Amino acid sequence: MDIPSQGAVYMADIRKIFYPSSIAVVGASENLFKWGSYIFTNIIAGGFGGRVFPVAKNRETIYGHRAYTTVAEIEESVDLVFITTPAVSVMGVLADCVKKGVKNVVMITSGFSETGEEGTRLEDEMIAYCRENGLSVVGPNTMGIVNTAASLYATGSQVRAPRGGISIIAQSGNVGNQIMEWAEQQNIGIGKFVGSGNEGVLGCEDYVEYFGADPDTSVVLMYVEGIDDGRRFMDAARRTSMKKPVIALKAGRTETGGRAAASHTGAMAGSFKTYEAALRQSGIILVKAPTELLTISSAFDSMPLPKGNRVGVVTLGGGWGVITADECEERGLTLPPLPDNVYEKLDRMLPPFWSKGNPVDLVGQPSMELFLESMNSMVSSDAYDAVILLGMVGAGKFVLRIHESAASMGYYSRDKLGELQQLFADHQTNFLDNIIELMEKYDKPIYPVALISTPGEEMIHYRDGSRFKAIIYKTPEEAVFCLEKQYEYYRYTSRRTTGRP
Amino acid sequence: MKEILKKAMERGQKALSEFDSKRLVAMAGFPVSRNDLAHSRNEAVAIAKNFGFPVVLKGCSDLLTHKTEMGMVKLKLKTEAEVAEAYDEIAGKGVQLDGVLVQEWIEGDKREFVVGLTRDPQFGPCVMFGLGGIFTEALRDVSFRIAPLSEMDADEMIDEIQTKKLLGEFRGSPAVDRAELVRALVGIGKLGLEYDEIAEIDINPLIVDGDKPVAVDALVVLAASKAEKKSA
Repeated sequence: MDIPSQGAVYMADIRKIFYPSSIAVVGASENLFKWGSYIFTNIIAGGFGGRVFPVAKNRETIYGHRAYTTVAEIEESVDLVFITTPAVSVMGVLADCVKKGVKNVVMITSGFSETGEEGTRLEDEMIAYCRENGLSVVGPNTMGIVNTAASLYATGSQVRAPRGGISIIAQSGNVGNQIMEWAEQQNIGIGKFVGSGNEGVLGCEDYVEYFGADPDTSVVLMYVEGIDDGRRFMDAARRTSMKKPVIALKAGRTETGGRAAASHTGAMAGSFKTYEAALRQSGIILVKAPTELLTISSAFDSMPLPKGNRVGVVTLGGGWGVITADECEERGLTLPPLPDNVYEKLDRMLPPFWSKGNPVDLVGQPSMELFLESMNSMVSSDAYDAVILLGMVGAGKFVLRIHESAASMGYYSRDKLGELQQLFADHQTNFLDNIIELMEKYDKPIYPVALISTPGEEMIHYRDGSRFKAIIYKTPEEAVFCLEKQYEYYRYTSRRTTGRP
Repeated sequence: MKEILKKAMERGQKALSEFDSKRLVAMAGFPVSRNDLAHSRNEAVAIAKNFGFPVVLKGCSDLLTHKTEMGMVKLKLKTEAEVAEAYDEIAGKGVQLDGVLVQEWIEGDKREFVVGLTRDPQFGPCVMFGLGGIFTEALRDVSFRIAPLSEMDADEMIDEIQTKKLLGEFRGSPAVDRAELVRALVGIGKLGLEYDEIAEIDINPLIVDGDKPVAVDALVVLAASKAEKKSA
């Protein structure tokens, strides 16, 4: 059955899916290993502020909440219904939803088109019914949804990513969940998540359109295996990408991967090259690995865009500068020479054996003052669109470890180590605050790369009241990669806004 | 354009002849080498004289798919006598032809590209651009865009191929006229979008004459007619 999606009509409804006042969970259960329990406990324990009604047969209560036999039986209004009961029961539950006046459903239930002919028939019947009755459906075969702004955590896994601006559309719930887990570990803010599942009624083109219009979303992150209506998707993606960055991973780039994708979602695989072209043509920034999705999205979410490809580099050591220069050139970025005024200023300040060029090499002088001055000169110069800082972040750790060794040999007071640690931590905080201030003042991205980073350390620095964050990169190549992608996006949008190449 | 396609569809052709293929892409704004169809030896010589020597002669029919292998292509003919002899040889093969195509000889500078139109089940007509000539298959250095292409889309797809340096100044040849190439790619996309009858277009090679890209061969493959689809 060929049923076209309906696009904009769903816009208001999609918002309701993410911002419900009341939720019913059909198939709610106290069996810890059932979806009806996963979803219900996650919503309650996640701190959702609205009403939550369990719907279960033959139960008085579920986890102490009064249970209902059907959705229609609930006296209060219901904005959103999660269905976790088997596929054969779904039509009955939907009829119940219609009776109750429910418009929005998240269909966790699997056993539809992903299982074969009978499932496809059932899914087609379900889709036709939903269209007829104006029901918006996420799924079926979905992991669920998240909206951190509403403290709505309604996925199978109990991941609680912090609140932020990166919203995720995933054609695989597991991939999406893992990304949210990394976000939780690294304290990267997530806005919304939707596992699009089989996309029976709502498809990724609907979500990309909605996230484009959603004021709480600053960056859209997508995991894509296949798209049914390529042209409608391109139109939606193009509109959104002109407003905010869309970062995507299109899986199935090999023949083997393509086959796996086709059997996973049942979507036609198509040629990877064509997909790549279509996504790129729609202004979507493409990456190859799930970790890159988050890394790149976080860069977009944290820093201003570079308005050109001219990079200034300040480094504590020569080798790092060389590596960064190589990475930049290979990725279409340039390292223009120092303008006279910057050169003269640095030449007065730095030891006579400094590099006298870009990268500015401080030749192993971990002086905060020199580093700050060099950074200021580079960032404030019109000659550069972005600045990469190699090594000042984490330099305190480097010095601290020297003192720790000395202390272990009895040549430094152990009592003073704590003080020293605090001092360096304060320095680092000030330094990162300083980076954020400079990004605000000059509207240019700054990429600090750590000399040393230790496990458990913050890799993203927030400053109250600022729209920007400082990301501490582990490697120069990661910093350059982010810069490259941000510049690619800037170029795409600015060319199309100004009409100039 | 409509007439060319309509006639071919009515005749049940699977493809357009080279002459018609080139006429069609030229109408869409694609630069092609000058050529004309001769139906007699004298006509071939007259066309050649008009173009100036050397010229190329090719047997022309929508049924011919391996012209070179069949000895239906005669390159770089420098005199009237050579043209006359080539005409007789091609016409004498006993193959049903629309005529013999007389085409100006373009020396080019060894830079060869390929342009194509394909149809994707999800995205519809797609334009392809890439490195042409004998390395096309081995290197697969091509980029794609979905029709319709904006000029910027076309510009960006040109920059996506690995061998894009060939488009700049190259061994004494000037840089390829970008604007012309962009127009050509946009035009091919439009063709695909406007005419469902076209299943595929293959322009290979697109060679560079001075700074101008010129198609010296083109093949338009037609979609199976509805009647045929049903029986298949």
